[in-house]
Amino acid sequence: MGSLIHIQKFLQLTIINLLVIRKPYMNPYMAGVILGVVLLAAMFLSGRGLGASGGLKYCVVSIVGAVDADHVAQSPYYSKYFEDSGKPLKNWLVFEILGMVVGGFISGALSGRLGFKVEKPAHVSNRRRLLFAFLGGILFVYGAQLARGCTSGAALSGMAVLSVAGFVTMIAIFGSAYLFAWFFRKNWI
Amino acid sequence: MNFRTTFSIILIFLGILVALLPEQDNHAGHLKPRTLANFIGNTDMFITVDQVARMVLDEDSTMLLIDVRTPEAYRNMNIPGSVNIPLQQILNPDYEGYLNQPNTKNIFYSNGDMFALEAWMLATRVGYVNNFVMGGGLNEWYQTIMLSEFSGDQISPKENATFELRYKARKFFNQMNSLPDSLKTGFLLAKKSKERELVGGCE
Amino acid sequence: MGPILIHSDASTWINLLTGFLIGIGFGFALEQAGFSSSRKLAGMFYGYDTTVLKVFFTAAIVAMIGSQLLKFFGLIDMDLVFVNHYYPYAAITGGVIMGAGFVMGGFCPGTGISAFSIGKMDALVFLIGGFVGAFLFAETFPLIQKLYMAGYKGPVKLSESLGVSDGVFIFLVIIVALVMFWLAEKAEVKFKRPDITSEL
Repeated sequence: MGSLIHIQKFLQLTIINLLVIRKPYMNPYMAGVILGVVLLAAMFLSGRGLGASGGLKYCVVSIVGAVDADHVAQSPYYSKYFEDSGKPLKNWLVFEILGMVVGGFISGALSGRLGFKVEKPAHVSNRRRLLFAFLGGILFVYGAQLARGCTSGAALSGMAVLSVAGFVTMIAIFGSAYLFAWFFRKNWI
Repeated sequence: MNFRTTFSIILIFLGILVALLPEQDNHAGHLKPRTLANFIGNTDMFITVDQVARMVLDEDSTMLLIDVRTPEAYRNMNIPGSVNIPLQQILNPDYEGYLNQPNTKNIFYSNGDMFALEAWMLATRVGYVNNFVMGGGLNEWYQTIMLSEFSGDQISPKENATFELRYKARKFFNQMNSLPDSLKTGFLLAKKSKERELVGGCE
Repeated sequence: MGPILIHSDASTWINLLTGFLIGIGFGFALEQAGFSSSRKLAGMFYGYDTTVLKVFFTAAIVAMIGSQLLKFFGLIDMDLVFVNHYYPYAAITGGVIMGAGFVMGGFCPGTGISAFSIGKMDALVFLIGGFVGAFLFAETFPLIQKLYMAGYKGPVKLSESLGVSDGVFIFLVIIVALVMFWLAEKAEVKFKRPDITSEL
């Protein structure tokens, strides 16, 4: 049965091709068009843009609520997420970020980019990279809460609907990042 | 021609196209003029002052009385339980919370009929539902409720009931209108319902 | 007429499922663009990789053009699409803090999630830090509340502030973006770091 062996070989090669061989990234303009279409779909279907930091917030609120219900009831900030016996996790953004994990995984799998690693320049130690990643995460999401959105929710989606807040937030993020870039250059180049 | 050049040309072309599109007033929920005309012809928009008096005394929460006169006139004298949305402010988004609700009746009144009817038109045109006008306005209220008299010997139970209603309304009216302003406003804030909020960003 | 799920009586779960599906598309597009790599993202600020700029502006412009065309054909009511509310002080302060966080961490939450999904450990640590940041904000909210709520201007659009129509404004954005793309390509040549880009 020669054809069966051929089919088997073909499948093996395809799987190796998809999962193992690392492919180059997509043309950025092409990727931008796809991202734009996804954003447009979100606007057309749900009347809102994309988001990410909001999803993280709902997770945190939900965890705090599960751990210390009294604290949540007393805090004016937390309590509004639990009004009318609301479940913070039952939110568009939370489901969206779950989808993002799936979508990113699929893309990584098809492009042979899956793998556990700490990404950093060779001259930077793992410890240093992870420390700055942690601190950067704290700062970024704190700032995102204050500005009511991150690069996806405020800047990208905000610009798509022409909001002043979107443009201002985007300029603040990128302007400030350029200013701070010089101080952290040793971490990257 | 590389990818970027093609891409740039496509974008400029689309950009010019979009820049030339006419501004659209594309509002879902607003009535088209023909629809509005049909609606006017087929609807019962008037409520009598007796009906209003009944609703006021019962503290009927399915209705919202809206005084469309100036704030000064309103402060001077108004039907207890009404809110003041001057005619020019009917479409002000700040007041949408009061008017844009499916479950309560919006009953507009003014001194006569004219301004109340204009408010009715505006509210109906932008898609608010359950709008009514108190027929005859405050003038009619005054004649009927405030000045009505018990007359004759042969009074039917129905007329008796009507008179009782008017008498109670008169008392209530005088009572509330002689209250200081602060107490009146408290009564009113309870009426505003939660507006439908759009969701997005990080909130 | 869109937005479809705002008008319809479909259950909440349909809306949530839609979010999930959109998220799949979002995560896929981000990873395909290369945003699952912190070094690629950081390249934007050191000149050797300007993918961020290209993807970001292209996506925003596609959504702008798309929504205007849909609006013209009566397929969407843009009044029902969320427009970010403008709180000037909070937006600028938050943006500056985010800029610092971006350069330190090498990610933003969206790209962090995308990188996490393919196994990047630095992204995982970034997201954990992110949870801490959100928690910090929630716990210290009263301290920052005044700044958070200051200067509210409502959901203003930049086209309104400048006094031009949406379409004209979008055309201007396109011109600016094309100029930036051209500059970006030049910068990538000037600041090139083949030692880094070959590893990405």
